[in-house]
Amino acid sequence: MPETAMNAGQVSGFYMPELAKVYRTCRKETDIIIEAGMHSGRPLGHMPGQFVQVSVFGYGEVPISICSSPTRTPDRFELCVRPVGGVTKALYNKNSEDWIGIRGPFGRGFPVDLTKGKDILVVAGGIGIAPLRSLINYIMDKREEYGRLIIVYGAKTPDLILFTSDIEQWENQPDAEVYLTVDEADNSWNGRTGVVTLPIREIEIDPARTAAMVVGPPVMYRFVAMELLKKDMDPDNIFFSLERHFKCGIGKCGHCQLNDLYVCHDGPTFRYSDLLARTEAIEAWAPEKDQD
Amino acid sequence: MKKKRIAFFDFACCEGCQLSVLQLDEKLLDLLDHVEVAAWREVMTGESDQYDVAFCEGSITRETDIHRIQNIRQTADIVVSLGSCASIGCHNALKNRWPTKKALEIVYGEQAKHFDSIPARPITAVVDVDYQVLGCPVSLTEFEAVFKCILTGQAYDPPNEPVCVECKRNDYLCVFEKGQICLGPVTRCGCNAICTAFGEPCHGCRGLLDQPNLEAAATVLTADHLHKIMDAVAHQYQLTREEVLDKFSLYNNWPELTFEEDDTHDT
Amino acid sequence: MQSFVLSSEQLNVLFETLMAKMPMMGPKQRSDQPGFYHFDWLKSPGELVLHYTTTTIPPKKAFFPPVETMFSFKLGDPPELTHIIEDTPFVLAGVHPCDLAAIKALDDAYSVPPADKRWLANRRRAIIIGSDCLPDEYCFCTSMNTADARLPCDLFLTPIDRGWLCEVHTDAGKNVLKNIQKDTAQKKDIEDASQWRLQKAEKISTKLNINFEAFAKILEAGGLTPIWKEIADRCYSCGSCNTTCPTCFCFNKYDEFDTTLTSGIRKRVWDSCQLPEFAMVAGEHNFRGERWERVKHRWHRKFLYLFRQFKRPYCTGCGRCSRACTADINMADVINQLAAASEKERSHA
Repeated sequence: MPETAMNAGQVSGFYMPELAKVYRTCRKETDIIIEAGMHSGRPLGHMPGQFVQVSVFGYGEVPISICSSPTRTPDRFELCVRPVGGVTKALYNKNSEDWIGIRGPFGRGFPVDLTKGKDILVVAGGIGIAPLRSLINYIMDKREEYGRLIIVYGAKTPDLILFTSDIEQWENQPDAEVYLTVDEADNSWNGRTGVVTLPIREIEIDPARTAAMVVGPPVMYRFVAMELLKKDMDPDNIFFSLERHFKCGIGKCGHCQLNDLYVCHDGPTFRYSDLLARTEAIEAWAPEKDQD
Repeated sequence: MKKKRIAFFDFACCEGCQLSVLQLDEKLLDLLDHVEVAAWREVMTGESDQYDVAFCEGSITRETDIHRIQNIRQTADIVVSLGSCASIGCHNALKNRWPTKKALEIVYGEQAKHFDSIPARPITAVVDVDYQVLGCPVSLTEFEAVFKCILTGQAYDPPNEPVCVECKRNDYLCVFEKGQICLGPVTRCGCNAICTAFGEPCHGCRGLLDQPNLEAAATVLTADHLHKIMDAVAHQYQLTREEVLDKFSLYNNWPELTFEEDDTHDT
Repeated sequence: MQSFVLSSEQLNVLFETLMAKMPMMGPKQRSDQPGFYHFDWLKSPGELVLHYTTTTIPPKKAFFPPVETMFSFKLGDPPELTHIIEDTPFVLAGVHPCDLAAIKALDDAYSVPPADKRWLANRRRAIIIGSDCLPDEYCFCTSMNTADARLPCDLFLTPIDRGWLCEVHTDAGKNVLKNIQKDTAQKKDIEDASQWRLQKAEKISTKLNINFEAFAKILEAGGLTPIWKEIADRCYSCGSCNTTCPTCFCFNKYDEFDTTLTSGIRKRVWDSCQLPEFAMVAGEHNFRGERWERVKHRWHRKFLYLFRQFKRPYCTGCGRCSRACTADINMADVINQLAAASEKERSHA
């Protein structure tokens, strides 16, 4: 079979990864944060909410959202990975100086330009904090361009809380409001307990000047949406970033099809108003699904 | 890194799976480069009871088998059920359609009392296994894939796709076109459709899918809803429900078709 | 458009000349089962069968093989990646009009930016020679506007009294004919070809009772769940409708180590939206976990989503899926059933 060498610029449509080097890892029991940089030295050039296709050669390729802000380390990027499948388990075992493959960045991230001047309400559930951490740090670095920054983050248990040092920094910012909650508390925990919608109820917002950015497990979106609508928010100003098992990242493989949309290409960030009429958006057991 | 020590064990079966593995030829030697063989009756004499990975073929059909497999489970870090007897029960479970005592009498007549027997079950029904290789005999591509997964620390889930997927990807002729009954649509793939490759229908040796549409099979294969193609070929495809059940029960008796009786055997 | 007439011998010379220069894929008889055909690489022009009805797998496999290696890797510091793609030109011969329409449909779908460059690269290698067909009982191309599709072929052959009418559709096609002995087509030859097409169209008995736009509206309006569930009751979710479809283009990919465990390959394979795990995400959450949701998705994708995006349904009426479905779920019957149900609904309202 004839083989041809290929340079980095040609790769995406051929599904060829570019090499990236792991510079630093921070491994905890339940997750790992990998800091990597492209072998070619090119900046990844991502925006908050975008994702990359990460390869561990011999194990496969998975989509992972980028959790670092492009404002901070342009030639490096960070990925937060929970070891659940074959590839993510292999990623969990990576150390500095190891190699991974990267394709991307792909997708439409959070509407950071469109929401300039607005109050930003960030709602994160579980590992959904990863892309939102990129957004929060992006806003922190361009603080004067946005209004209030309200961060609501719910984790299942205290030890599953990610980015604890970031959270500490956010809490120390006078112009950020942080609401941290866990579903199940333990003895170490003296913060809030309960699902992520409870703190949302407490928060007073000006619905006309607020944009909500929401990422979490599929079951979370419906309940968060209900709370936000109760606060008179317009579905146009609620943004959901959705997860699917993207294989290609460029709207071809069909795996992420959400009715007529490709999540990888048309999303992963969508306006809630665009998802209302689409039955395959949020969760499998939505009551309207039975009426197609 | 220390090489993993592997061992092969057999329970009630024809040992065809072990023999099949030998057909990997040079590839097998390449794979064995990464391990040490502690026990493998089909290829070597002598065995060691120090092993990390146990490939176990065959079904559990006696009380003593249960203790033996439990011991293996305790010794090995990784247990692999090798082949369909070990993974899903296979032909061994055919006898479960009769009470054990009756089955023994049918086979051994007056000598039946000398035999220790319990309803046949796969190894997977007695101990937890870490990997399964399906097939009667095992699919060599799957054995190789599982072997590599063990060595590289990856999990292996038998694919939850029907044989039709691999049959079509290989561009084989659908045997229904020739008027044969094939269990491909409800059988787990991973065999690379080896039977339809030779123009033979799938008999379901790798077991059923996670959600096989058996109701559809019953409707489609009996007279109710005959496909135009089959209709055109011959009447032999209009099976009775019993005949359809017979097709399915060749490999898939455990546990649905197992005769209900007390698990303890007569002594 | 220019047309020539080639005798059977001259056509054979054409294929011989081409095969002397490059490999050729075309329909040939299955060695294990006479009377059935498949697209495959031909050993000699004699193997090519232009009078065939249909094949199990469509000719899209020439550009997008069911299983293909995308690249190989060798672990190291740094790892080595080697892109694997064929670059030799080849001929794809004996492509029926419906399959030509399907290749065009995939050209469109795969070239929407960001394009699938594997498809495009393979397409650029090929000279496509179309040929007119013999319909089977599952075809309904006359309802899909594909019975006389020509794009994107270079040459197109129709049987006539004097041999073959050869339409030249591209400059590449013209080049291929350059040194081949041929006649200019006469009025009678063109009429012969029209007569063949007329007879072909008459043989096609399966017909849709609704136009595409009206059908898309029916799907869009929804409320068809009972029918989807009824169809799903006899659907195996075996994926054969997708794996035999000339316009399906979904795929999956996976890595494979070789026996050294330090090098290997990444493959891509045809996938099917009917398989239970197609829309599964982490945590076993499945966006189309129910069989009927997947059945519905197939019709929605082909006749609503892609229809709206590309202004053509992603079905060419080739009938392969209906033929492959052992549960006898027939593409045309289902469309007519949905149309009738919706009509009934409206008259009741």
